[in-house]
Amino acid sequence: MAERKKGFVVAAVVVIALALVPLVVAREYVFSILCMIFLYVTLSQSWNILGGYTGQINVGQAAFFGIGALAARLLWVAGVPFYLSILAGGLSSVILAIIIGLPALKLRGHYFAIGTLAVASIAQITVGNILPGISFLPAQHMATYSLIPRYYVFLIIMVTALAAVYITVNSRIGLGMEATRDDEEAAQMVGVNTFKYKMIAFLISSFFAGLAGGGFAYFNASYYWYLPFTLMWCFEPILIVFIGGVGSFIGPIIGSVCYVLLKELFALTLGEANLLIFGIVFILTILFFPKGIIGLPAKLRQLFRRRGNVVGR
Amino acid sequence: MDLLKVENLSKSFGALWAVNNVSFTVGEGEIVGLIGPNGSGKSTVFQLITGLLRANRGTISYDGKDITGFKPYQISRSGIARTFQIVRPFPEMTTLKNVMVGRAFGSSSARSMKETEDEARRLLDLTGLTDKVSATAGHLGLIYRKKLELARALATKPKLLLLDEVMAGLNPTEMMETVEFLKTVRNSGVTMIVVEHVIKALFSMTDRVVVLNAGEKIAEGIPQEISRNEEVIKVYLGDYEHA
Ligand SMILES: Nc1ncnc2c1ncn2[C@@H]1O[C@H](COP(=O)(O)OP(=O)(O)OP(=O)(O)O)[C@@H](O)[C@H]1O
Ligand SMILES: [Mg+2]
Repeated sequence: MAERKKGFVVAAVVVIALALVPLVVAREYVFSILCMIFLYVTLSQSWNILGGYTGQINVGQAAFFGIGALAARLLWVAGVPFYLSILAGGLSSVILAIIIGLPALKLRGHYFAIGTLAVASIAQITVGNILPGISFLPAQHMATYSLIPRYYVFLIIMVTALAAVYITVNSRIGLGMEATRDDEEAAQMVGVNTFKYKMIAFLISSFFAGLAGGGFAYFNASYYWYLPFTLMWCFEPILIVFIGGVGSFIGPIIGSVCYVLLKELFALTLGEANLLIFGIVFILTILFFPKGIIGLPAKLRQLFRRRGNVVGR
Repeated sequence: MDLLKVENLSKSFGALWAVNNVSFTVGEGEIVGLIGPNGSGKSTVFQLITGLLRANRGTISYDGKDITGFKPYQISRSGIARTFQIVRPFPEMTTLKNVMVGRAFGSSSARSMKETEDEARRLLDLTGLTDKVSATAGHLGLIYRKKLELARALATKPKLLLLDEVMAGLNPTEMMETVEFLKTVRNSGVTMIVVEHVIKALFSMTDRVVVLNAGEKIAEGIPQEISRNEEVIKVYLGDYEHA
């Protein structure tokens, strides 16, 4: 396990370096890019523990992100301390997951995917109708607005989410999740209560999606109430996970860094067309690189070996 | 003492009675063969015992308890493990992790992940998969996948092991090895029901044989009796003389 130890050291160094960034960098642009990377790492890793490790495809991540944002923002603006507001956002998301998961995860097949998409669509429309306007920050919050606390909030949420996912997937629970993903009946045949592991993955996933939503509500001074519910928040985590490498721990991290940087680049040069490009990249990834960026070295080695071995076989 | 007792078990698929009023018992420490022509209901009996299918009628008692209607994972935890006729290892997981799942869940789980891994490695050594530990299960050849399923089933520490055609596709040497291996498993205290079309290999290790035909039990006895039973020869063994 020398490799694992090396991984911990690298992770610790990176986290410390990130924590020190505000002391050496003063440009707001850098902060907001890093905040977006942290947000997407959280959101995509939270999708990954359920979709990548447990095989339950949540097509409605926006509902969980959105409800976290909504609850946190309402409470915070009403005067509740921010850290309590964001926790309440995470818990609202967990409650939503329990309501959806109890019926939908009992069943096998596509019910879960269809159910989550339906919930996300309904949530977007409902919030759009009830709160059609913009949420403005009250003057006392506006007066003290600074990016640095936002930066630390996103960093803490991300590190917590990564640690929680890492510990879970490397435990007995992780074995139950992966077995459930690969073959539910075979998993039951070795004693795995598959419903339980789908539910655990869903609860962890929704909690961090909700926290990420709370981060969003804290970060943005003013935004349309429905904005965190838009279906973009459903598709982006899936896109990132598949580009980076589904069911791997590093995949969503690499995927998020690439996604945020490329999106920034494309948005500057291509405007709205950047969505089209990501759509195409997504399809090509699934067709030709199902393991994403993480799988590239193995894929190349495999291609290389196949060439080299023709005579020998 | 009977470890398993199946009484009047029936299962229909539409108009077809795949298992029809079947009763038999399996004593502790026995190896019981379950044979019969293709489609006679052998695999369906396994699906019923393991809870993946619900019987229309009949009861299954195991270790003195009525387990009819229990959930599949509960049945596994009570000490029943099985292999699938068409192998189903966890395809995206490594060989090692496949067996670790068995060890981490099943009827008694290892205390820590370290212990889970160590014991899984030992089982992989025992089943001849030492140099495949880090291979992805879905990429293994059929023989290795079969061995892996057996290792995963054993990892759950079963009291009763249901084997569905583990020898199909093996060459004679591999079959001999498997028979010897299963005998050592039995000697370690595991009771077995073995479905197999390779009669010679099967009869060399079974204490008793149950014969199904078109969902019904047509005979039961020690191998020598069964191989002389006229009805069994007519519906089944006649076709398999060369097997
Ligand atoms: N899930 C199912 N749905 C419908 N019919 C089924 C199902 N499973 C099995 N059958 C039918 O039930 C009968 C018994 O099948 P089963 O698989 O138990 O036979 P078997 O004795 O294991 O045969 P084989 O030696 O070919 O494996 C067959 O006619 C089969 O087609
Ligand atoms: Mg069969």
